[in-house]
Amino acid sequence: MKDYAWLVRREFWENRAIWLVPSLIGVALTLAALFGNVQIPSLSLPDNRIFGGVVLFGFGVTFFVVMDIYATWYLLDCLYADRKDRSVLFWKSLPISDTATVLAKLFTGLIAIPLVYFIAADIATLLMAFIVSVRAHSTLGGSLWQPDLWLQLQALWLYLIVTSAIWYLPFAGYLLVVSAWAKRAVTLWSIVPPLAAYLLERWFFGTQWVGTALQDRAFGYLPRAFHDKSDQSAWVTTVIQHDTIKTPSSIWQLLDPLGFFSSPATWAGIVVGIAFIIGAIQLRLRRTEI
Amino acid sequence: MPPLIEAHDLSKKYGKHIALDRVNFAVETGRIVGLIGPNGAGKTSALRAILGLTPYEGRLRVLDREPFGDRAALMRDACFIADVAVLPAWLRVDQAIDFVAGIHPRFRRDRAQALLSKTQITGKRRMRELSKGMKTQVHLALTMAIDAKLLVLDEPTLGLDILARRSFFDALVNDYMDETRTILITTHQVEEVENLLTDVIFIDRGRIVLDSSLDEIATRYAAVAVGDDNLAVARAERPFFERRTLGKTVLYFERPDVRQLANLGELLTPSVSDLFVAKLSGGAA
Repeated sequence: MKDYAWLVRREFWENRAIWLVPSLIGVALTLAALFGNVQIPSLSLPDNRIFGGVVLFGFGVTFFVVMDIYATWYLLDCLYADRKDRSVLFWKSLPISDTATVLAKLFTGLIAIPLVYFIAADIATLLMAFIVSVRAHSTLGGSLWQPDLWLQLQALWLYLIVTSAIWYLPFAGYLLVVSAWAKRAVTLWSIVPPLAAYLLERWFFGTQWVGTALQDRAFGYLPRAFHDKSDQSAWVTTVIQHDTIKTPSSIWQLLDPLGFFSSPATWAGIVVGIAFIIGAIQLRLRRTEI
Repeated sequence: MPPLIEAHDLSKKYGKHIALDRVNFAVETGRIVGLIGPNGAGKTSALRAILGLTPYEGRLRVLDREPFGDRAALMRDACFIADVAVLPAWLRVDQAIDFVAGIHPRFRRDRAQALLSKTQITGKRRMRELSKGMKTQVHLALTMAIDAKLLVLDEPTLGLDILARRSFFDALVNDYMDETRTILITTHQVEEVENLLTDVIFIDRGRIVLDSSLDEIATRYAAVAVGDDNLAVARAERPFFERRTLGKTVLYFERPDVRQLANLGELLTPSVSDLFVAKLSGGAA
Protein backbone atom coordinates (compact mmCIF):
# COMPACT_ATOMS: atom_id res chain seq x y z
CA MET A 1 0.00 0.00 0.00
CA LYS A 2 2.86 2.35 0.90
CA ASP A 3 4.41 1.70 -2.51
CA TYR A 4 1.15 2.61 -4.23
CA ALA A 5 0.96 5.89 -2.31
CA TRP A 6 4.46 6.76 -3.52
CA LEU A 7 3.65 5.75 -7.08
CA VAL A 8 0.56 7.97 -7.16
CA ARG A 9 2.48 10.83 -5.58
CA ARG A 10 5.09 10.47 -8.31
CA GLU A 11 2.32 10.84 -10.93
CA PHE A 12 1.32 14.12 -9.28
CA TRP A 13 4.92 15.31 -9.40
CA GLU A 14 5.24 14.45 -13.06
CA ASN A 15 1.84 15.74 -14.16
CA ARG A 16 1.43 19.01 -12.35
CA ALA A 17 -1.52 19.75 -14.63
CA ILE A 18 -3.51 17.30 -12.47
CA TRP A 19 -3.97 20.03 -9.87
CA LEU A 20 -2.94 23.13 -11.83
CA VAL A 21 -5.76 22.94 -14.38
CA PRO A 22 -8.64 22.57 -11.88
CA SER A 23 -7.05 25.29 -9.74
CA LEU A 24 -7.04 27.60 -12.74
CA ILE A 25 -10.67 26.85 -13.59
CA GLY A 26 -11.56 27.48 -9.95
CA VAL A 27 -9.71 30.79 -9.95
CA ALA A 28 -11.36 31.84 -13.23
CA LEU A 29 -14.84 31.04 -11.93
CA THR A 30 -14.15 32.81 -8.64
CA LEU A 31 -12.93 35.88 -10.52
CA ALA A 32 -16.03 35.77 -12.69
CA ALA A 33 -18.16 35.72 -9.53
CA LEU A 34 -16.17 38.61 -8.07
CA PHE A 35 -16.08 40.95 -11.05
CA GLY A 36 -18.63 39.54 -13.44
CA ASN A 37 -22.09 40.91 -14.00
CA VAL A 38 -24.14 38.91 -11.51
CA GLN A 39 -27.76 38.93 -12.47
CA ILE A 40 -29.94 36.69 -10.43
CA PRO A 41 -33.48 36.62 -11.74
CA SER A 42 -36.16 37.40 -9.26
CA LEU A 43 -38.05 34.21 -8.70
CA SER A 44 -40.52 32.74 -6.30
CA LEU A 45 -39.17 30.36 -3.70
CA PRO A 46 -39.47 26.89 -5.29
CA ASP A 47 -38.13 28.16 -8.60
CA ASN A 48 -35.36 29.91 -6.77
CA ARG A 49 -34.28 26.62 -5.32
CA ILE A 50 -34.16 24.99 -8.72
CA PHE A 51 -32.21 27.89 -10.16
CA GLY A 52 -29.60 27.43 -7.44
CA GLY A 53 -29.37 23.75 -8.20
CA VAL A 54 -28.86 24.37 -11.91
CA VAL A 55 -26.07 26.89 -11.26
CA LEU A 56 -24.26 24.55 -8.88
CA PHE A 57 -24.69 21.63 -11.25
CA GLY A 58 -23.37 23.67 -14.16
CA PHE A 59 -20.34 24.54 -12.08
CA GLY A 60 -19.57 20.91 -11.41
CA VAL A 61 -20.13 19.90 -15.02
CA THR A 62 -17.54 22.46 -16.18
CA PHE A 63 -14.95 20.72 -14.02
CA PHE A 64 -15.99 17.24 -15.04
CA VAL A 65 -15.86 17.91 -18.79
CA VAL A 66 -12.30 19.25 -18.53
CA MET A 67 -11.43 16.34 -16.23
CA ASP A 68 -12.63 13.75 -18.75
CA ILE A 69 -10.50 15.23 -21.51
CA TYR A 70 -7.45 15.48 -19.24
CA ALA A 71 -7.81 11.98 -17.76
CA THR A 72 -8.11 10.48 -21.26
CA TRP A 73 -4.95 12.22 -22.34
CA TYR A 74 -3.20 11.19 -19.11
CA LEU A 75 -4.00 7.48 -19.54
CA LEU A 76 -2.84 7.59 -23.15
CA ASP A 77 0.42 9.33 -22.29
CA CYS A 78 1.52 7.92 -18.93
CA LEU A 79 3.30 4.69 -19.96
CA TYR A 80 4.47 6.14 -23.26
CA ALA A 81 6.10 9.15 -21.55
CA ASP A 82 8.29 6.85 -19.42
CA ARG A 83 9.57 5.14 -22.53
CA LYS A 84 9.96 8.29 -24.58
CA ASP A 85 12.33 9.96 -22.10
CA ARG A 86 13.88 6.56 -21.23
CA SER A 87 13.12 7.14 -17.54
CA VAL A 88 11.50 3.69 -17.61
CA LEU A 89 15.06 2.42 -17.11
CA PHE A 90 15.27 4.38 -13.87
CA TRP A 91 11.86 3.28 -12.57
CA LYS A 92 12.67 -0.33 -13.43
CA SER A 93 15.89 -0.13 -11.43
CA LEU A 94 13.75 0.15 -8.30
CA PRO A 95 12.01 -2.72 -6.49
CA ILE A 96 8.54 -1.93 -7.85
CA SER A 97 6.72 -4.45 -10.02
CA ASP A 98 5.34 -3.47 -13.40
CA THR A 99 1.93 -4.57 -12.17
CA ALA A 100 2.07 -2.01 -9.36
CA THR A 101 3.23 0.68 -11.77
CA VAL A 102 0.42 0.10 -14.25
CA LEU A 103 -2.24 -0.19 -11.53
CA ALA A 104 -1.04 3.02 -9.88
CA LYS A 105 -1.33 4.85 -13.19
CA LEU A 106 -4.79 3.39 -13.79
CA PHE A 107 -5.87 4.47 -10.31
CA THR A 108 -4.47 7.95 -10.92
CA GLY A 109 -6.38 8.33 -14.17
CA LEU A 110 -9.70 6.87 -13.04
CA ILE A 111 -9.94 7.86 -9.37
CA ALA A 112 -7.23 10.28 -8.19
CA ILE A 113 -7.61 12.84 -10.99
CA PRO A 114 -11.45 12.93 -10.75
CA LEU A 115 -11.17 13.35 -6.96
CA VAL A 116 -8.83 16.31 -7.36
CA TYR A 117 -11.29 17.96 -9.77
CA PHE A 118 -14.14 17.15 -7.41
CA ILE A 119 -12.39 18.83 -4.48
CA ALA A 120 -11.43 21.83 -6.64
CA ALA A 121 -15.02 22.12 -7.85
CA ASP A 122 -16.28 22.07 -4.25
CA ILE A 123 -13.90 24.76 -3.07
CA ALA A 124 -14.59 26.96 -6.11
CA THR A 125 -18.33 26.48 -5.75
CA LEU A 126 -18.25 27.46 -2.08
CA LEU A 127 -16.24 30.58 -2.87
CA MET A 128 -18.51 31.48 -5.77
CA ALA A 129 -21.67 30.97 -3.74
CA PHE A 130 -20.28 33.10 -0.94
CA ILE A 131 -19.21 35.92 -3.26
CA VAL A 132 -22.43 35.93 -5.23
CA SER A 133 -24.64 35.96 -2.16
CA VAL A 134 -22.66 38.88 -0.71
CA ARG A 135 -22.71 40.81 -3.98
CA ALA A 136 -26.33 40.13 -4.81
CA HIS A 137 -27.58 41.96 -1.71
CA SER A 138 -30.72 39.97 -1.53
CA THR A 139 -32.18 36.76 -0.33
CA LEU A 140 -31.76 35.48 -3.87
CA GLY A 141 -28.11 34.77 -3.32
CA GLY A 142 -29.35 32.34 -0.76
CA SER A 143 -30.53 30.11 -3.59
CA LEU A 144 -26.96 28.84 -3.64
CA TRP A 145 -26.95 28.00 0.07
CA GLN A 146 -29.06 24.92 0.41
CA PRO A 147 -27.51 22.21 2.57
CA ASP A 148 -29.62 19.36 1.23
CA LEU A 149 -29.02 20.41 -2.36
CA TRP A 150 -25.34 20.64 -1.61
CA LEU A 151 -25.33 17.15 -0.11
CA GLN A 152 -27.21 15.77 -3.10
CA LEU A 153 -24.64 17.18 -5.50
CA GLN A 154 -21.80 15.68 -3.46
CA ALA A 155 -23.47 12.30 -3.71
CA LEU A 156 -24.00 12.79 -7.43
CA TRP A 157 -20.35 13.60 -8.11
CA LEU A 158 -19.02 10.71 -6.03
CA TYR A 159 -21.48 8.30 -7.65
CA LEU A 160 -20.39 9.62 -11.04
CA ILE A 161 -16.70 9.11 -10.26
CA VAL A 162 -17.13 5.52 -9.07
CA THR A 163 -19.60 4.29 -11.67
CA SER A 164 -17.97 5.99 -14.64
CA ALA A 165 -14.58 4.57 -13.58
CA ILE A 166 -16.17 1.11 -13.73
CA TRP A 167 -18.09 1.72 -16.95
CA TYR A 168 -15.13 3.21 -18.80
CA LEU A 169 -12.63 0.61 -17.52
CA PRO A 170 -12.32 -0.99 -20.99
CA PHE A 171 -11.52 2.39 -22.55
CA ALA A 172 -8.99 3.14 -19.81
CA GLY A 173 -7.39 -0.31 -20.20
CA TYR A 174 -7.24 0.12 -23.96
CA LEU A 175 -5.55 3.52 -23.62
CA LEU A 176 -2.95 1.95 -21.31
CA VAL A 177 -2.28 -0.80 -23.86
CA VAL A 178 -1.68 1.79 -26.58
CA SER A 179 0.47 3.82 -24.20
CA ALA A 180 2.59 0.78 -23.33
CA TRP A 181 2.87 -0.35 -26.93
CA ALA A 182 3.06 2.51 -29.44
CA LYS A 183 6.43 3.72 -30.66
CA ARG A 184 5.03 7.14 -31.54
CA ALA A 185 1.78 8.98 -32.26
CA VAL A 186 -0.19 7.49 -29.37
CA THR A 187 -3.28 9.53 -30.24
CA LEU A 188 -3.35 8.16 -33.76
CA TRP A 189 -2.77 4.62 -32.53
CA SER A 190 -5.62 4.94 -30.09
CA ILE A 191 -8.04 5.78 -32.91
CA VAL A 192 -6.83 3.64 -35.83
CA PRO A 193 -7.40 0.07 -34.53
CA PRO A 194 -11.05 0.51 -33.50
CA LEU A 195 -11.75 2.52 -36.64
CA ALA A 196 -10.10 -0.14 -38.81
CA ALA A 197 -12.03 -2.91 -37.04
CA TYR A 198 -15.26 -1.03 -37.63
CA LEU A 199 -14.59 -0.39 -41.32
CA LEU A 200 -13.24 -3.89 -42.08
CA GLU A 201 -16.24 -5.48 -40.44
CA ARG A 202 -18.58 -3.33 -42.49
CA TRP A 203 -16.80 -4.07 -45.77
CA PHE A 204 -16.24 -7.77 -45.34
CA PHE A 205 -19.22 -8.91 -43.31
CA GLY A 206 -21.66 -6.07 -43.75
CA THR A 207 -22.34 -6.15 -40.02
CA GLN A 208 -21.84 -3.48 -37.38
CA TRP A 209 -20.96 -5.34 -34.18
CA VAL A 210 -17.85 -3.30 -33.47
CA GLY A 211 -19.54 0.01 -34.17
CA THR A 212 -22.55 -0.86 -32.01
CA ALA A 213 -20.38 -2.07 -29.15
CA LEU A 214 -18.22 1.06 -29.23
CA GLN A 215 -21.21 3.32 -29.48
CA ASP A 216 -22.91 1.61 -26.56
CA ARG A 217 -19.76 1.86 -24.44
CA ALA A 218 -19.33 5.54 -25.27
CA PHE A 219 -22.93 6.65 -24.80
CA GLY A 220 -24.50 3.84 -22.78
CA TYR A 221 -23.27 5.06 -19.43
CA LEU A 222 -25.94 7.62 -18.55
CA PRO A 223 -28.98 5.41 -19.32
CA ARG A 224 -27.54 2.61 -17.20
CA ALA A 225 -26.32 4.59 -14.21
CA PHE A 226 -29.32 6.95 -13.98
CA HIS A 227 -33.07 6.72 -14.17
CA ASP A 228 -34.40 8.30 -17.32
CA LYS A 229 -37.07 10.90 -17.72
CA SER A 230 -39.86 8.41 -18.27
CA ASP A 231 -40.60 8.42 -14.56
CA GLN A 232 -42.63 11.63 -14.59
CA SER A 233 -42.96 11.91 -10.82
CA ALA A 234 -39.20 12.20 -10.44
CA TRP A 235 -38.94 15.26 -12.67
CA VAL A 236 -40.00 18.84 -12.20
CA THR A 237 -40.55 21.31 -15.03
CA THR A 238 -39.68 24.91 -14.31
CA VAL A 239 -39.91 28.03 -16.44
CA ILE A 240 -37.16 30.54 -15.73
CA GLN A 241 -37.42 33.66 -17.88
CA HIS A 242 -39.05 31.95 -20.90
CA ASP A 243 -36.71 28.93 -20.71
CA THR A 244 -38.26 25.65 -19.76
CA ILE A 245 -35.96 23.32 -17.87
CA LYS A 246 -36.59 19.87 -16.58
CA THR A 247 -34.83 18.97 -13.37
CA PRO A 248 -34.97 15.94 -11.12
CA SER A 249 -37.02 16.50 -8.01
CA SER A 250 -34.22 14.89 -6.06
CA ILE A 251 -30.82 13.42 -6.91
CA TRP A 252 -31.70 10.34 -4.89
CA GLN A 253 -34.42 9.49 -7.38
CA LEU A 254 -32.03 9.97 -10.25
CA LEU A 255 -29.23 7.58 -9.26
CA ASP A 256 -29.73 3.98 -10.28
CA PRO A 257 -26.95 1.91 -8.68
CA LEU A 258 -29.05 -1.23 -8.73
CA GLY A 259 -29.71 -0.93 -12.44
CA PHE A 260 -26.07 -0.13 -13.10
CA PHE A 261 -24.61 -3.08 -11.23
CA SER A 262 -27.21 -5.52 -12.49
CA SER A 263 -26.57 -4.62 -16.12
CA PRO A 264 -24.64 -7.36 -17.98
CA ALA A 265 -22.91 -4.61 -19.99
CA THR A 266 -21.31 -3.30 -16.79
CA TRP A 267 -19.80 -6.70 -16.01
CA ALA A 268 -18.81 -7.39 -19.60
CA GLY A 269 -16.99 -4.06 -19.50
CA ILE A 270 -15.16 -5.03 -16.33
CA VAL A 271 -14.00 -8.30 -17.90
CA VAL A 272 -12.78 -6.59 -21.08
CA GLY A 273 -11.17 -3.84 -19.01
CA ILE A 274 -9.24 -6.35 -16.89
CA ALA A 275 -8.07 -8.14 -20.05
CA PHE A 276 -6.71 -4.88 -21.44
CA ILE A 277 -5.01 -4.05 -18.14
CA ILE A 278 -3.30 -7.46 -18.06
CA GLY A 279 -2.17 -6.78 -21.64
CA ALA A 280 -0.78 -3.38 -20.65
CA ILE A 281 1.17 -4.98 -17.77
CA GLN A 282 2.62 -7.63 -20.10
CA LEU A 283 3.69 -4.93 -22.54
CA ARG A 284 5.21 -2.86 -19.76
CA LEU A 285 7.22 -5.93 -18.71
CA ARG A 286 8.66 -6.40 -22.19
CA ARG A 287 8.92 -2.97 -23.75
CA THR A 288 11.56 -0.82 -22.20
CA GLU A 289 12.33 1.78 -24.79
CA ILE A 290 10.95 3.17 -27.99
CA MET B 1 28.59 -20.38 -2.56
CA PRO B 2 27.00 -20.27 -6.01
CA PRO B 3 28.08 -17.50 -8.37
CA LEU B 4 26.18 -14.23 -8.18
CA ILE B 5 25.31 -14.43 -11.85
CA GLU B 6 25.19 -17.70 -13.74
CA ALA B 7 24.26 -18.03 -17.41
CA HIS B 8 23.89 -21.32 -19.29
CA ASP B 9 23.21 -21.26 -23.01
CA LEU B 10 21.78 -17.77 -22.69
CA SER B 11 20.30 -16.63 -26.00
CA LYS B 12 18.40 -13.57 -27.11
CA LYS B 13 16.83 -13.17 -30.52
CA TYR B 14 15.11 -10.20 -32.07
CA GLY B 15 13.19 -11.74 -34.94
CA LYS B 16 15.91 -13.33 -37.11
CA HIS B 17 18.71 -11.32 -35.56
CA ILE B 18 20.60 -13.26 -32.89
CA ALA B 19 21.90 -10.81 -30.30
CA LEU B 20 23.20 -13.48 -27.91
CA ASP B 21 24.07 -16.95 -29.10
CA ARG B 22 24.09 -19.58 -26.33
CA VAL B 23 26.60 -17.86 -24.09
CA ASN B 24 27.88 -19.23 -20.79
CA PHE B 25 29.48 -17.21 -18.04
CA ALA B 26 29.53 -16.72 -14.30
CA VAL B 27 30.27 -13.74 -12.08
CA GLU B 28 31.52 -14.28 -8.54
CA THR B 29 30.98 -12.05 -5.51
CA GLY B 30 33.49 -9.28 -4.92
CA ARG B 31 34.60 -8.91 -8.53
CA ILE B 32 34.49 -5.93 -10.86
CA VAL B 33 33.69 -7.43 -14.21
CA GLY B 34 33.89 -5.59 -17.50
CA LEU B 35 31.58 -6.81 -20.23
CA ILE B 36 33.37 -5.45 -23.23
CA GLY B 37 32.50 -5.46 -26.88
CA PRO B 38 31.95 -3.24 -29.89
CA ASN B 39 28.57 -1.60 -30.49
CA GLY B 40 25.94 -4.16 -31.31
CA ALA B 41 27.96 -7.06 -29.90
CA GLY B 42 25.25 -8.18 -27.49
CA LYS B 43 26.42 -6.38 -24.33
CA THR B 44 23.20 -4.55 -23.76
CA SER B 45 21.13 -7.66 -24.51
CA ALA B 46 23.09 -9.58 -21.89
CA LEU B 47 22.62 -6.80 -19.34
CA ARG B 48 18.92 -6.43 -20.06
CA ALA B 49 18.48 -10.15 -19.52
CA ILE B 50 20.45 -10.05 -16.26
CA LEU B 51 18.36 -7.12 -15.00
CA GLY B 52 15.03 -8.74 -15.86
CA LEU B 53 14.18 -6.15 -18.49
CA THR B 54 13.71 -8.62 -21.30
CA PRO B 55 12.74 -12.27 -21.78
CA TYR B 56 15.45 -14.67 -23.00
CA GLU B 57 16.14 -18.31 -23.78
CA GLY B 58 18.38 -20.56 -21.76
CA ARG B 59 19.05 -20.59 -18.06
CA LEU B 60 19.95 -17.48 -16.11
CA ARG B 61 20.18 -17.04 -12.34
CA VAL B 62 20.99 -13.70 -10.74
CA LEU B 63 21.27 -13.61 -6.95
CA ASP B 64 19.51 -16.96 -7.05
CA ARG B 65 16.50 -15.51 -8.87
CA GLU B 66 15.05 -15.77 -12.35
CA PRO B 67 15.40 -12.13 -13.38
CA PHE B 68 12.57 -11.64 -15.88
CA GLY B 69 9.84 -13.07 -13.69
CA ASP B 70 11.18 -11.62 -10.48
CA ARG B 71 12.61 -8.20 -11.33
CA ALA B 72 10.99 -6.27 -8.49
CA ALA B 73 12.39 -8.66 -5.86
CA LEU B 74 15.78 -8.75 -7.60
CA MET B 75 16.02 -4.96 -7.47
CA ARG B 76 16.05 -5.04 -3.68
CA ASP B 77 19.53 -6.57 -3.87
CA ALA B 78 20.71 -5.29 -7.22
CA CYS B 79 20.64 -1.91 -8.82
CA PHE B 80 21.67 -0.45 -12.12
CA ILE B 81 22.48 2.76 -13.91
CA ALA B 82 21.37 2.32 -17.48
CA ASP B 83 23.08 5.40 -18.76
CA VAL B 84 23.31 9.01 -17.84
CA ALA B 85 20.15 10.34 -19.38
CA VAL B 86 17.42 8.29 -17.74
CA LEU B 87 16.42 10.45 -14.79
CA PRO B 88 13.25 12.18 -16.00
CA ALA B 89 13.53 15.90 -16.76
CA TRP B 90 10.66 16.90 -14.45
CA LEU B 91 12.05 15.15 -11.36
CA ARG B 92 13.49 17.32 -8.58
CA VAL B 93 16.55 16.09 -6.70
CA ASP B 94 14.72 16.05 -3.35
CA GLN B 95 11.76 14.24 -4.94
CA ALA B 96 14.12 11.60 -6.30
CA ILE B 97 15.56 11.06 -2.82
CA ASP B 98 12.11 10.99 -1.20
CA PHE B 99 10.79 8.51 -3.74
CA VAL B 100 13.67 6.06 -3.53
CA ALA B 101 13.68 6.38 0.28
CA GLY B 102 9.95 5.69 0.27
CA ILE B 103 10.07 2.49 -1.72
CA HIS B 104 13.54 1.01 -1.36
CA PRO B 105 14.11 -0.94 1.87
CA ARG B 106 17.90 -0.74 1.51
CA PHE B 107 18.21 2.95 0.68
CA ARG B 108 20.07 5.12 3.17
CA ARG B 109 18.94 8.71 2.86
CA ASP B 110 21.76 10.12 4.99
CA ARG B 111 24.30 8.53 2.70
CA ALA B 112 22.69 9.96 -0.45
CA GLN B 113 22.57 13.39 1.14
CA ALA B 114 26.18 13.18 2.26
CA LEU B 115 27.25 12.28 -1.27
CA LEU B 116 25.24 15.13 -2.77
CA SER B 117 26.47 17.64 -0.23
CA LYS B 118 29.93 17.25 -1.78
CA THR B 119 28.52 18.62 -5.05
CA GLN B 120 26.99 21.92 -6.14
CA ILE B 121 23.58 20.32 -6.58
CA THR B 122 20.71 21.51 -4.39
CA GLY B 123 17.48 19.67 -3.67
CA LYS B 124 15.11 21.98 -5.51
CA ARG B 125 16.86 21.61 -8.86
CA ARG B 126 15.06 19.70 -11.58
CA MET B 127 16.93 17.21 -13.76
CA ARG B 128 16.26 19.34 -16.84
CA GLU B 129 18.30 22.14 -15.26
CA LEU B 130 21.33 19.94 -14.58
CA SER B 131 24.25 19.18 -16.87
CA LYS B 132 24.91 15.59 -17.91
CA GLY B 133 27.73 15.35 -15.40
CA MET B 134 25.52 16.62 -12.58
CA LYS B 135 22.73 14.20 -13.49
CA THR B 136 25.24 11.39 -13.32
CA GLN B 137 26.31 12.61 -9.87
CA VAL B 138 22.69 12.53 -8.71
CA HIS B 139 22.09 9.08 -10.13
CA LEU B 140 25.32 7.76 -8.66
CA ALA B 141 24.47 9.25 -5.24
CA LEU B 142 21.05 7.59 -5.33
CA THR B 143 22.56 4.28 -6.39
CA MET B 144 25.51 4.28 -4.03
CA ALA B 145 23.16 4.94 -1.11
CA ILE B 146 21.48 1.61 -1.81
CA ASP B 147 23.05 -1.24 0.08
CA ALA B 148 23.03 -3.62 -2.89
CA LYS B 149 24.96 -6.79 -3.58
CA LEU B 150 25.16 -6.23 -7.32
CA LEU B 151 25.59 -2.99 -9.22
CA VAL B 152 25.22 -3.02 -12.98
CA LEU B 153 26.42 -0.11 -15.09
CA ASP B 154 25.62 0.13 -18.78
CA GLU B 155 27.90 2.57 -20.58
CA PRO B 156 27.71 4.79 -17.51
CA THR B 157 29.94 7.56 -18.77
CA LEU B 158 28.55 7.91 -22.28
CA GLY B 159 28.55 11.57 -23.26
CA LEU B 160 30.44 12.76 -20.19
CA ASP B 161 33.55 14.91 -20.36
CA ILE B 162 36.85 13.60 -19.07
CA LEU B 163 36.57 15.23 -15.62
CA ALA B 164 33.09 13.87 -14.97
CA ARG B 165 34.20 10.41 -16.10
CA ARG B 166 37.18 10.42 -13.81
CA SER B 167 35.17 11.50 -10.77
CA PHE B 168 32.52 8.89 -11.57
CA PHE B 169 34.99 6.03 -11.45
CA ASP B 170 36.87 7.47 -8.47
CA ALA B 171 33.65 7.60 -6.46
CA LEU B 172 32.81 4.08 -7.50
CA VAL B 173 36.11 2.57 -6.49
CA ASN B 174 36.85 4.65 -3.38
CA ASP B 175 33.43 5.16 -1.81
CA TYR B 176 31.45 2.15 -2.94
CA MET B 177 33.39 -0.97 -3.72
CA ASP B 178 34.14 -3.50 -1.00
CA GLU B 179 34.45 -7.27 -0.83
CA THR B 180 30.72 -7.82 -0.35
CA ARG B 181 29.78 -6.01 -3.52
CA THR B 182 30.01 -6.94 -7.15
CA ILE B 183 30.04 -4.60 -10.12
CA LEU B 184 29.25 -5.52 -13.69
CA ILE B 185 30.06 -2.80 -16.16
CA THR B 186 29.64 -2.64 -19.92
CA THR B 187 31.58 -0.32 -22.10
CA HIS B 188 33.05 -0.07 -25.55
CA GLN B 189 35.81 2.17 -24.23
CA VAL B 190 38.21 -0.32 -22.72
CA GLU B 191 40.96 2.12 -21.73
CA GLU B 192 38.63 3.89 -19.37
CA VAL B 193 37.93 0.92 -17.13
CA GLU B 194 40.83 -1.45 -17.51
CA ASN B 195 42.57 -0.23 -14.36
CA LEU B 196 39.65 -0.94 -12.08
CA LEU B 197 38.49 -4.30 -13.42
CA THR B 198 39.31 -7.64 -11.85
CA ASP B 199 37.76 -9.65 -14.70
CA VAL B 200 36.88 -9.14 -18.33
CA ILE B 201 34.42 -10.79 -20.63
CA PHE B 202 34.86 -9.94 -24.31
CA ILE B 203 31.78 -10.32 -26.39
CA ASP B 204 31.48 -10.07 -30.16
CA ARG B 205 28.58 -10.83 -32.47
CA GLY B 206 26.65 -12.51 -29.70
CA ARG B 207 29.45 -14.82 -28.61
CA ILE B 208 31.99 -14.71 -25.82
CA VAL B 209 35.50 -14.34 -27.17
CA LEU B 210 37.36 -14.16 -23.88
CA ASP B 211 36.35 -14.69 -20.25
CA SER B 212 39.20 -14.27 -17.85
CA SER B 213 40.51 -12.57 -14.74
CA LEU B 214 43.14 -9.91 -15.21
CA ASP B 215 45.69 -11.97 -13.26
CA GLU B 216 45.12 -14.82 -15.63
CA ILE B 217 45.55 -12.57 -18.65
CA ALA B 218 48.98 -11.48 -17.45
CA THR B 219 50.22 -15.06 -17.32
CA ARG B 220 48.36 -16.36 -20.34
CA TYR B 221 49.11 -13.77 -22.99
CA ALA B 222 52.29 -12.17 -24.18
CA ALA B 223 53.34 -9.97 -27.05
CA VAL B 224 56.67 -9.36 -28.64
CA ALA B 225 57.90 -6.51 -30.81
CA VAL B 226 60.26 -7.83 -33.44
CA GLY B 227 62.24 -6.32 -36.26
CA ASP B 228 61.79 -7.52 -39.83
CA ASP B 229 64.79 -9.84 -39.56
CA ASN B 230 63.11 -11.99 -36.90
CA LEU B 231 59.58 -11.71 -38.23
CA ALA B 232 59.48 -15.04 -40.06
CA VAL B 233 60.78 -16.91 -37.01
CA ALA B 234 58.28 -15.19 -34.73
CA ARG B 235 55.43 -15.98 -37.10
CA ALA B 236 56.34 -19.62 -36.94
CA GLU B 237 55.36 -19.52 -33.23
CA ARG B 238 51.76 -19.05 -34.38
CA PRO B 239 50.70 -15.62 -33.09
CA PHE B 240 46.94 -15.01 -33.11
CA PHE B 241 47.32 -11.37 -34.09
CA GLU B 242 49.95 -8.98 -35.32
CA ARG B 243 50.19 -5.30 -36.05
CA ARG B 244 52.81 -2.95 -37.49
CA THR B 245 54.08 -0.11 -35.38
CA LEU B 246 57.11 2.18 -35.76
CA GLY B 247 58.96 -0.08 -38.11
CA LYS B 248 58.45 -3.13 -35.93
CA THR B 249 55.81 -5.81 -35.83
CA VAL B 250 54.04 -6.65 -32.57
CA LEU B 251 52.87 -10.24 -32.42
CA TYR B 252 50.40 -11.60 -29.86
CA PHE B 253 50.58 -15.10 -28.46
CA GLU B 254 48.45 -17.22 -26.21
CA ARG B 255 50.40 -19.44 -23.78
CA PRO B 256 53.73 -18.87 -25.51
CA ASP B 257 57.18 -20.02 -24.59
CA VAL B 258 58.22 -16.69 -23.10
CA ARG B 259 61.98 -17.34 -23.10
CA GLN B 260 61.89 -18.19 -26.76
CA LEU B 261 60.03 -14.96 -27.51
CA ALA B 262 62.46 -12.88 -25.48
CA ASN B 263 65.20 -13.95 -27.85
CA LEU B 264 63.29 -12.60 -30.83
CA GLY B 265 62.60 -9.08 -29.62
CA GLU B 266 61.23 -6.85 -26.92
CA LEU B 267 58.72 -8.67 -24.69
CA LEU B 268 55.51 -6.77 -23.89
CA THR B 269 52.61 -7.40 -21.54
CA PRO B 270 49.46 -6.77 -23.54
CA SER B 271 46.97 -4.39 -21.95
CA VAL B 272 43.27 -5.19 -21.92
CA SER B 273 42.70 -2.77 -24.78
CA ASP B 274 45.48 -4.40 -26.81
CA LEU B 275 43.95 -7.78 -26.21
CA PHE B 276 40.53 -6.43 -27.09
CA VAL B 277 41.78 -5.21 -30.45
CA ALA B 278 43.75 -8.38 -30.97
CA LYS B 279 40.92 -10.73 -30.08
CA LEU B 280 38.24 -8.92 -31.99
CA SER B 281 40.16 -8.44 -35.19
CA GLY B 282 42.09 -11.67 -34.62
CA GLY B 283 39.91 -13.84 -36.80
CA ALA B 284 40.74 -11.77 -39.85
CA ALA B 285 44.51 -11.65 -39.31
